[in-house]
Parts: sequence; structure tokens; C-alpha cells
Amino acid sequence: MANVVLPPLAEGVDKANVSYWHRSIGDAVKEGEDLVELVTDKATFNMPSPLSGKLKEILVNDGEEAKVGQVLATIE
Amino acid sequence: MKQHPYWLKKRLDFNEGFLKTKAILKRFGVNTVCESSRCPNSVECFSKNFATFLILGTRCTRSCRYCSVRSGIPQPPDIEEPRKVSDSVVEMGLKYAVITSVTRDDLPDGGSSQFVKVVEAIRMKAPHIKIELLVPDFAGKLEEAQKTAQSRPEVFGHNLETVQRLFTYLRPKADYRRSLELLKSVKDKNSALITKSGIMLGLGEKEEEVVETMGDLREGGCDLLTLGQYLRPSADNVPVVEYVPPDEFKKYREMGMSMGFKHVSSGPFVRSSYFAEESYNELMEVSYGKCRVAAAC
Repeated sequence: MANVVLPPLAEGVDKANVSYWHRSIGDAVKEGEDLVELVTDKATFNMPSPLSGKLKEILVNDGEEAKVGQVLATIE
Repeated sequence: MKQHPYWLKKRLDFNEGFLKTKAILKRFGVNTVCESSRCPNSVECFSKNFATFLILGTRCTRSCRYCSVRSGIPQPPDIEEPRKVSDSVVEMGLKYAVITSVTRDDLPDGGSSQFVKVVEAIRMKAPHIKIELLVPDFAGKLEEAQKTAQSRPEVFGHNLETVQRLFTYLRPKADYRRSLELLKSVKDKNSALITKSGIMLGLGEKEEEVVETMGDLREGGCDLLTLGQYLRPSADNVPVVEYVPPDEFKKYREMGMSMGFKHVSSGPFVRSSYFAEESYNELMEVSYGKCRVAAAC
């Protein structure tokens, strides 16, 4: 199992809002495919899945805020 | 946080290069405008092993309303900074380095000598590296601007940032005509030097004002232009008045090229140093063929 961690989105920015999960719990995910949409003050980012597997848990839901380094989800 | 229009959505390009770039910048203790401005392109640029160096400290003597660089009384210039920046440039393996600074109204020379020393330090260690300077207005001291131009960067940049009408509100200590004069004066004295300027859109400017600004820049012989969307760095800065659609940026690009700019980068995520190397290379290819020296022969 691997953690999906919020990476840095922009220099000097330490948090983002999760705006949309492209996949639901239990879905198969592929490395490089859009996994989650993240919003900062300046822009919206689509974060690709870091690996292939099954989305096991979503720890930060749509509309919630996360800090850089925080675990957003787990993939097995 | 509100949603942005679809054209302000980008894919997160994060890779090991980002960490490598960060480590180099940290090791040499240099600052970047990427961080100070919370640039949305910074992760992409760092991951591609590119950054824009911010010299003369991280405190600015101006307080432009759109800018997130902290204002205040800056530290004296770091005499080690030219070495630190040049070491970083070499370590990062850059072929093209962009150097900018905070505005230093507190220094008699406005920081021009530090620009020159940084250019000299890079030239000493890696003469093949092309350099773009993005200088402040030196409080209108044209001789200081001329000193930086004489250090012979490949590109000499000074950003207007916005249209004339909005200067008083957004850039209370700056002056539209003074900035234009700086660019013109440098071009007049160094006709071969490529000059560059940039404007942010979405701050409340009207189309005719943008066109007028482009015309004013061309009158001063400005060669390169960048147009990008203003994005509010924090709640302390002025809000975005308008998100300018990509088609509008495209239109401005076409207008700019027809007005005689040699290159116009225009798009929502364009910043003055975003893909600066590519813009320069495109210009060289179009203007001089693949090799500038060969074209001169």
C-alpha cells in the first residue's frame, strides 16, 4: 500500500483545497492518470496518480483543505 | 478558495528535478522570484531545472499592490551573492539564466552594481551561459540602467507590469513614463541589445489601453513582450478584476507581432521569465538563423 501525498504545488504555497476526486474508493487507478484536482489561490492543478493500483482510502474529501506533505489517499 | 476558469487549470508537473533544484538553491542560499511571488509555474520550472534568481534580498522598498514580495527595509547587499548565484547557475547546469531583483530605492545606485557583479561572476565561471536581466526602474536613474545594460546580458528586461492609468493605484512609487524612458534610453545607447517588457492582464485594464501600452513600448524599440494573467498571490493583494480568456491572449499576441515586436509570449500562465530561454532561442532562430554568429558573417 502506498500513500498519495500532497506535493508542493507552487513555491511559497503550503496548502491547497481538494476540489474533485477523479476516482472513487475501490476504483482502479493508473500511474499518470488524473487522480485529484487541487485548488490554490492562483491556479487549479490536476495531480496525476503516482502509481497504478486500487484506490483504497480517501483521507481528504472534496472541499477540504490539505497541507503539503499530508496524505490525501492510499493506493494498494 | 474559488474555482478558476478552465484555462487556469494545469497538470501538476512534479518530479525529482524539483527537489534537486530546491536543494541547490538552499545549499547556496540564493533566493528566487518563483518563491517570493508564489508563482503557479514554479513546480513545473523547478522540475525542469529552471528558476529565476532574485538578488539584493527578499525585502522590497516598494509596495506594489499586486506583488507578494515583502516590503520593508532591506539588508545591505550580500557581497557573496554574485558567487552564490553563479555557483547555483553552474550547478543547475543552466544554459540561460534570468536574474531579477527587488527594488532598492535605499541604495544610491539602486543595486545596479550588484547586477553587474552577478553577470561578471557568471561570465567568469561559464561564459557560454546566456543571461537575461529583469531590472527595476532605478528610481529613474538612467545611468544605473545603462550600467547594467553595459554588462552585456543577452536580454535586458524591465517590466511595465500594467497600463498607464493603473500605475498610480497599483504601483504608487513607480512611473509609467519613467519606465518607458528607461527601456528607450537603454535601446538608444545599445541598439544591438535585445530589450523586453511584460504586462499583466486582468487588473482592470481596457483593450485600448493594452494596445496603447504595446505601442508605447514599440516606440522605445522594445523587442520582446510578455503578457500573462494576473493571479492574486494572497488576500493582502488586489483581487483579480477579470480572467482573460486564451483567445484574447492570442489576439494580443497577433497584434503585438503586427506592431513589430520580435517575439510575443502571451497566455494565461505566461510570466516574464516563463520559458524565457525558449523565447530567446525562437527569436534567434527567426532573426538570425540557428547561429547568431553565422548570421553576422
